[in-house]
Amino acid sequence: MSTMKPSKPLSFAVLGFGYAFLYLPIVLLVIYSFNESKLVTVWSGFSTKWYWALLEDDELINAALLSIKIALMTATAAVVIGTWAGFVMARLNRFRLFPLFAGMINAPLVIPEVIQGISLLLLFVAMEQAFGWPEGRGVFTIWIGHVMLCVSYVAIVVQSRVRELNRSLEEAAMDLGARPLKVFFVITLPLISQALVSGWLLSFTLSLDDLVLTAFLSGPGSTTLPMVIFSRVRLGLNPEMNALATLFIIVVSVGVVAGNLYMRSVQRKRDREMQLAFNQA
Amino acid sequence: MKKKLVKKVLCSLLLLLPSAGVLAEDKALNVYNWSDYIAKGTIPGFEKQTGVKVKYDVYDSDDTLQAKMMTGRAGYDIVVPTSNFMAKQIEAGIYQKLDKSKIPNLANLDKGLMAKIQDADPGNAHGVPWAYGTDGLGYNFTKVKAILGKDTPLDTWDILFDPKYVSKLKGCGVSVLDQANDVFAVALHHLGKDPNSKNPADYQAAFELLKKIRPYITQFNSSGYINDLANGDICLALGWSGDVNIAKHRAAEAKRTYQLGYVIPKSGAPIWFDVMVIPKDAPHVDAALKWINYIENPEVNAAITDEVFYPTANAAARKFVKPEIANDPSIYPPESVMKTLFLLKPLPSDIMRLQNRLWTQLKTGR
Amino acid sequence: MKSLNFSRWFPSGRTTVIGVPFLFLFVFFLLPFLLVVGISFSQQQLGIPPYTPLTKIEDDVFTLVLNVGHYKFMLGDDLYFATYISSVQMAFVSTVLCLLIGYPMAYYIARASESARDTLMMMVMLPFWTSYLIRVYAWIGILKNDGFLNQFLMWLGVIDTPLRLYHTNWGVYIGMVFSYLPFMIMPLYAHLVKMDLRLLEAAYDLGARPWKAFVQVTLPLSKNGIIAGSLLVFIPAVGEYVIPELLGGSDTLMIGRVMWDEFFNNMDWPMAATVTCAMVLLLLVPMALFQHYQAKVMEEVK
Repeated sequence: MSTMKPSKPLSFAVLGFGYAFLYLPIVLLVIYSFNESKLVTVWSGFSTKWYWALLEDDELINAALLSIKIALMTATAAVVIGTWAGFVMARLNRFRLFPLFAGMINAPLVIPEVIQGISLLLLFVAMEQAFGWPEGRGVFTIWIGHVMLCVSYVAIVVQSRVRELNRSLEEAAMDLGARPLKVFFVITLPLISQALVSGWLLSFTLSLDDLVLTAFLSGPGSTTLPMVIFSRVRLGLNPEMNALATLFIIVVSVGVVAGNLYMRSVQRKRDREMQLAFNQA
Repeated sequence: MKKKLVKKVLCSLLLLLPSAGVLAEDKALNVYNWSDYIAKGTIPGFEKQTGVKVKYDVYDSDDTLQAKMMTGRAGYDIVVPTSNFMAKQIEAGIYQKLDKSKIPNLANLDKGLMAKIQDADPGNAHGVPWAYGTDGLGYNFTKVKAILGKDTPLDTWDILFDPKYVSKLKGCGVSVLDQANDVFAVALHHLGKDPNSKNPADYQAAFELLKKIRPYITQFNSSGYINDLANGDICLALGWSGDVNIAKHRAAEAKRTYQLGYVIPKSGAPIWFDVMVIPKDAPHVDAALKWINYIENPEVNAAITDEVFYPTANAAARKFVKPEIANDPSIYPPESVMKTLFLLKPLPSDIMRLQNRLWTQLKTGR
Repeated sequence: MKSLNFSRWFPSGRTTVIGVPFLFLFVFFLLPFLLVVGISFSQQQLGIPPYTPLTKIEDDVFTLVLNVGHYKFMLGDDLYFATYISSVQMAFVSTVLCLLIGYPMAYYIARASESARDTLMMMVMLPFWTSYLIRVYAWIGILKNDGFLNQFLMWLGVIDTPLRLYHTNWGVYIGMVFSYLPFMIMPLYAHLVKMDLRLLEAAYDLGARPWKAFVQVTLPLSKNGIIAGSLLVFIPAVGEYVIPELLGGSDTLMIGRVMWDEFFNNMDWPMAATVTCAMVLLLLVPMALFQHYQAKVMEEVK
């Protein structure tokens, strides 16, 4: 059946074009980060001076540290709350207000961020008027906003993972007299750990990247990396941004490739163990 | 009682979070100022002298500042609104009166210029000017002259408002400030009407005028146009005096071959003052007063003018300013030009709303 | 059976277990919206906060003042409606472009050798993990008048005056397709890779031409993938702020941007709240659709 194979040249052309579209901008960005000139689109010689400039840019470094801190806090909180909510979605979905609950999980995915930002800011302002808390806006309000942004994703990933779990293990533990909470932590949680890891990583990325919610919820001194990048980008091209982007791309590429390899080996190991367990049973 | 309990619970929750609360430190100061508006050494100098750590954030329109301020507890100790916006904000009661005994350097200020902002701030009770400037036309002379011919006079608003000229400049890029207030004032002035008019019909007329040139405006921008002008992406800008001079300076630095420059049209132009004020809910008032006093130190003040090309109301500072800047008429308008300039004044809120609405319509090209 | 099971699981704590996430979502998601609805009926004022309270108690008389002026104004002003239409239209065009580029890619990735597939998919996802702002930024340098694209085309001699792409709707389309392409490819790939090749074989055996086999077998089988991918692109694209702000012109009307300006520049909170309410209502339709497909999508993407 030679006709079954897709035509090679066409396949190369399509994929070539597609990946060129996805990667050309990034490659140009990286190349021009080594440009001597301050003008980003004119090549005038090789230089690493923009990387050194980056090192001395306190505003950028502080913003990056703050962003990482918020992203860590966000990812952790989003995974805790999201797992909790996802578990309720999958297992405890028989209460009267369930449709409302499900709606509140799904709605943040379709509501534009600008709208979420405005409404959260209004909430915080009204809360402050009513009982003096939270005092002003800053890391805390940004954190809440980001958690709201990420919780839905985590909840949905966890929910579908919990749904496809084989309940025999949990039930066996229950039969042996384990308390529900213990069963959850000892049996269920490890089984859905992969979903938790991907939820955490997704939340981390979303938080690290968020501009819109942050713009509404930030206060003095809580300027995050995307805010700095955005305000500088609006002022025009800037080789320092290219250098920053290059560092970003390197870190992410290494992370993604390593993560991918690790996930694959874990998956393979788990499959093997499952197979073994079933064989023995 | 219940409210108290809620507060208590929430507060204790708050304490559990790592560094979530913005704890007021004695040695801190939060400044919110316009972008590209300060010298490199200003903040380090202040920190070294006083031991106060400065957090410095920037904005690029009075509207953004006003939105932040009106949200309440913005957390800033020093903000720098333009005088006409400041007047309304003072009315709304969001700024505190200055303790002038703590600002000895106020003696350095030019009495004549201070009198000019009395309209906005009676008795100069709330604010100390940061800098002042004018609205005018920023040119890429080389490109514009090549297109319009050598003999076309460039010191007139006609270049922007007459489709005959501006249509030819579209190809090389035309930028207009994204600031409804400034642009409407200029348009009203060009029509021979009061730039601070309170008559809605005048604004409609100005809108019609602007609509005619809208197709030729390539961007509305209050901060990025500096680099665009410097890089040759635009050749005509309705901009602020200092910004255009910054662009000129940057182009020279990048060894660009074309000539940039700022022109105040002969018929007159808006003049404005950006004024430092302290919000009522500022967490660090003492540090804020120290900041104002420091800024009004003649040498510190002159260093800012040297870098941002905006003159200040500090009379004692002028002799420290680089001579090529101190003697540049496009930066320090001479008395003859000063007479043609007009100050922007606060407008009633229904006019503001009309202006904003027309502005959105204009920008979106509808 | 199921319900019996969890009464055993959480005999006493069931309400707590449900209650905690419920409360969190209620306070930080639903409550803000109720507040927005409230503020849309208030009046703008110069002060902190910049809107008047709805209720007041004076001389033991409780009065509730609802100002519907903003709704009237919104309905009378076609700016908001035009913004909505224009956002939907721009999101739609971007979605179609994503589909046109993404479908063939997903198709050929799914047909590649097993070992190549994972790597190819990882390469599709990689840009997604890098900063979104930086990816948009990358395009500014390409689309500008003196940017790489114009330099390249002029060098080729295809054009002699630079194309205006930066600060136009074209810039926005390019930026959107670039940013959202991975979201289109993911679900499409998930569907295509699972497809039973025997069906295709059968079609070929029956003498179907490749194109016909594709239209009659492959395309219908990947329908759900197309819908899922399209929604994943369309929904965030409608509310996009950053791309139209950085790559679009000042006449690029999009919901996110107009609302941002209404809030930050015009400082008319009640008006912004009114527009928010209207937009949420108008977005409920795609949202309901999304609810419907979301479960399927998530399972397949993972």
